[in-house]
Amino acid sequence: MRYIVLALVSLLLFVVVTAVTVRHDERLDPVLYEYVTANFRDDTSARNAVAAVLLNYRMYDTLLEALILLTAIIGMLQFLPGYHGEKGSEDSGERDGGGNE
Amino acid sequence: MSNVRELSEPSTITRVVVSILYPFMLMLGFYIIINGHYTPGGGFQGGATLASVFIARYVVFPVEDIRDETVHGWERLFLALIVLGPILLLFTGFVNDHPEYQIAYLTLMDILIGLQVGLGLSVVVFRFAFFRGVGKSWR
Repeated sequence: MRYIVLALVSLLLFVVVTAVTVRHDERLDPVLYEYVTANFRDDTSARNAVAAVLLNYRMYDTLLEALILLTAIIGMLQFLPGYHGEKGSEDSGERDGGGNE
Repeated sequence: MSNVRELSEPSTITRVVVSILYPFMLMLGFYIIINGHYTPGGGFQGGATLASVFIARYVVFPVEDIRDETVHGWERLFLALIVLGPILLLFTGFVNDHPEYQIAYLTLMDILIGLQVGLGLSVVVFRFAFFRGVGKSWR
């Protein structure tokens, strides 16, 4: 029963959020787009607007993107126990002690 | 376990072809990384290409002689450099005030991001490939 209620609430939330998003109609002037495409060579001396945005205008985005990869890897290392080397015959006793040796 | 090992011996053709392909993979990866600010591409794409070197090595030579904790440590070092570089160079306004260093800054950041992504994807691939937590591995 609880799960059904939860599912209905989630579905209702999804529908409401989608409806709000779809009905929301707001046109913004492409100020940033025009500025970046006009000035990126002078500002960052990159020949590629994507590189200019990624590495200069929106560097915070790139930083957190790299951090997301690290977070994913840390979670994966946590949940997939490794098994190092073929030495010994024990199968499950070896836990890595963390740290890099 | 030994039967699994014997069945998974790679053929000579695969081994030779992948050995020939190694330098080209490295060359393509570093080309994408270093030319990231001239052509489409950049650190993330080039890093994924560099990780394919480790994947190909695993395909022909599935021996766990690379400690993924070590690779992970290097990856964290490069992430620290990625965080440090913009803080010291970009957010202080140094790069935007000295346009002659901008190309060097872009190349440096592309190389750092490429190495970090490549090492990170290699950690992922190694850990999934040599996962022996529950039951047998898929090989």
